[in-house]
Amino acid sequence: MVVSDPDTIEIIEACRRGDREAFRALYEAHKDKVYSIALYFFHGDTAAAGDATQQAFLKLLTSIKSFHGDSEFSTWLHRLVVNTCLDGTRKSKSRERSAEPAELARIADPASPDEALSRRQTASRVQAALSSLPPKLRMPILLRYFEDLSYAEMAQALQCSAGTVASRLSQGHKLLAQKLEKLRR
Amino acid sequence: MNEPQEKPPIGPIEPGQLPLVQAPDKIWKSIEAALDAEPVRPKRFWLAWALAAASVAVVAAISWYVTVPSSPAWPVSRLEGSASVDQIKVGEWLQTDGSSRARITVGDIGVVDVEPNTRVRLVAASSTEHRLTLARGEISAVVTAPPRLFLVDTPASTAVDLGCAYKIKTDESGDGVLRVTSGWVSLEWKGRESLVPAGADCRTRAKTGPGTPYFADAPEALQQALAEFDFRSGGADAVNTILSQARVRDTLTLWHLLSRVDAADRLRVFDRMVELAPLPAGVSREKALQLDPATLKSWREELAWKW
Repeated sequence: MVVSDPDTIEIIEACRRGDREAFRALYEAHKDKVYSIALYFFHGDTAAAGDATQQAFLKLLTSIKSFHGDSEFSTWLHRLVVNTCLDGTRKSKSRERSAEPAELARIADPASPDEALSRRQTASRVQAALSSLPPKLRMPILLRYFEDLSYAEMAQALQCSAGTVASRLSQGHKLLAQKLEKLRR
Repeated sequence: MNEPQEKPPIGPIEPGQLPLVQAPDKIWKSIEAALDAEPVRPKRFWLAWALAAASVAVVAAISWYVTVPSSPAWPVSRLEGSASVDQIKVGEWLQTDGSSRARITVGDIGVVDVEPNTRVRLVAASSTEHRLTLARGEISAVVTAPPRLFLVDTPASTAVDLGCAYKIKTDESGDGVLRVTSGWVSLEWKGRESLVPAGADCRTRAKTGPGTPYFADAPEALQQALAEFDFRSGGADAVNTILSQARVRDTLTLWHLLSRVDAADRLRVFDRMVELAPLPAGVSREKALQLDPATLKSWREELAWKW
């Protein structure tokens, strides 16, 4: 039995009772992470990321009654996000690489204009490199670097073994290092 | 699996430090709009009553396999036409006529929309098994639940939900088709299993069970050859067409074919798969050709990223 933090449990309970405000609170708490993962996954395609975010939260609401706390809430949410992104990819293969990696202008919580600019530039470079990775390597990297998930958490979200997670992360790191090196030149 | 103590940065980005991007406000608005949407289509009451008067109704009929008054029941609502039932209990049948549609709420895990001219029975509604029989017609299911909790039996298959949305239709003999729109469905029948992901279809045939899944956007020639192979003993000619037409994502189809073709054709299927998508590290050619279950599963998990 894994228990989410008390606030989250309370909000989930309220969502089960159909409390729209509680659902809004859950959405507000997680929306940027979900959207960011989707946005990076879909190569900066804001429409695809928006669709995936909407679908993930609607699925969450539909299934919240079946969440019994036997996994961490965030792990469960990540699994929904992963499945939604992969469904989106399967349904519209043509969407891949359809957008320029440009929609990183609204980075959350910029500390100063200079810092924000620097972070945007960095993020654009990283996004360009991430976009070139195959999906199976891209998603573990996103979960690791947005959320700092453990191997076990990623294995649950990705529905594969921890060994497979480790292997994909390793491959992903190598490819990213090569691509970022090229981008610096 | 031991995790490394140090996580390498992505260039200048440390783990957990990729900058978040603010989700646009319009996403919440679209969620609210979806939540506010009336689940039942606008009703034309006069028409509904006229239809009712003409005995064009959704009928719950009525084979009591279980007669315990407190037996589990799922709510039923009308989508089109008129409905004379508001729930379906274990053992009961729900039947729609040519102009009626109904929605069954599947416990707390999803909904099933019952299309016109359809006959379904609730077989089980327990915490470990939610099961319907689709005798004929078409249903659309949207289910978010742990895998293998929701099942639909047809005359020639059992659709096992692996967390998904799908449509399945069948005639009384078992001829039909499954179309998955989200997640995965496993179609099972007498030891034969077809794993169908979002965007893919799988036909079923009486006395044969599920055919080989294929993506709905697969070349028409591939789809026709697959029908020949699955249900009309198409043999080597059909396999030739399938192999020549297959694209990378059609490795879904080829992966299933690997264990369904004759030994003589297996190597050809394998070679074409590897040509389309290189064999992943850790997947042994020898074991794959021997149809080693663990090897095929590992290979499928890798290929699924391309599907």
